Amino acid sequence: MALADPTRRAILQRLSKGEARITELAQPFAISLNSVSKHIRMLERARLVRRRRAGREHLLSINPKPLDEAVAWIDVQRAVWTARLDALDAMLQAEDRSASITPKKKGRSR
Amino acid sequence: MNTEQCVNVRVTHRFSAAPERVFDAWLDPEKAGKWLFATPSGQMVRVEIDARVGGSFAFVDRRDGEDIEHTGEYLEIDRPRRLVFTFAVPKFSPERTRVTIEIVRLGAGCELTLTHEGVLPDYASRTEAGWTGLLDGLASTLS
Repeated sequence: MALADPTRRAILQRLSKGEARITELAQPFAISLNSVSKHIRMLERARLVRRRRAGREHLLSINPKPLDEAVAWIDVQRAVWTARLDALDAMLQAEDRSASITPKKKGRSR
Repeated sequence: MNTEQCVNVRVTHRFSAAPERVFDAWLDPEKAGKWLFATPSGQMVRVEIDARVGGSFAFVDRRDGEDIEHTGEYLEIDRPRRLVFTFAVPKFSPERTRVTIEIVRLGAGCELTLTHEGVLPDYASRTEAGWTGLLDGLASTLS
């Protein structure tokens, strides 16, 4: 997955500050330009990074939309489960309340 | 699905009820149907639970005249401490995600930790349009 790798996350972090050439992006890393290119291609396939040509150069920029959607998606998931557990809690408490107000009949076994 | 590469959602909740009651509420069809995949405006029309490892379940919630099915399989059942299952909502996505429930006794009650793995679809395999559709689908479960 595109975000699972720390190098790719660092590339995104750099791009969040503005456009950059591949050589600029490769600079901080102790890996080959080729490896950086592979990471960038993966980010492009995931539509997290866009490429434009300026003369003979390729300039890369971040596409924030998928990340914003990812965050929103995770928030929705968390809210869904929280709501379900709240509903479970309410159901158990309702059971407790009806158990405490139901009079116990003598001589009856369940 | 490579769960190591997927983002997890983790939620905890404290219950005043004992661990056994909280655990059983997941596997008892009568109880589970009231809250697990239910919605306030929907109507749970079918709940089938085969509560054993390798057993499957199906919850069908009717929303606005449409039947939304949640299907899955139980991977681990360790009453009352641990429950693991996968599930999918075929209408919105064929992908199965994994849910792990861990229950720890806390006084007379308990604390439940739920981990939902695989909630973030792999970017490369999903279009943005499809993703937004999933988002809308899940958001509607809250309404």
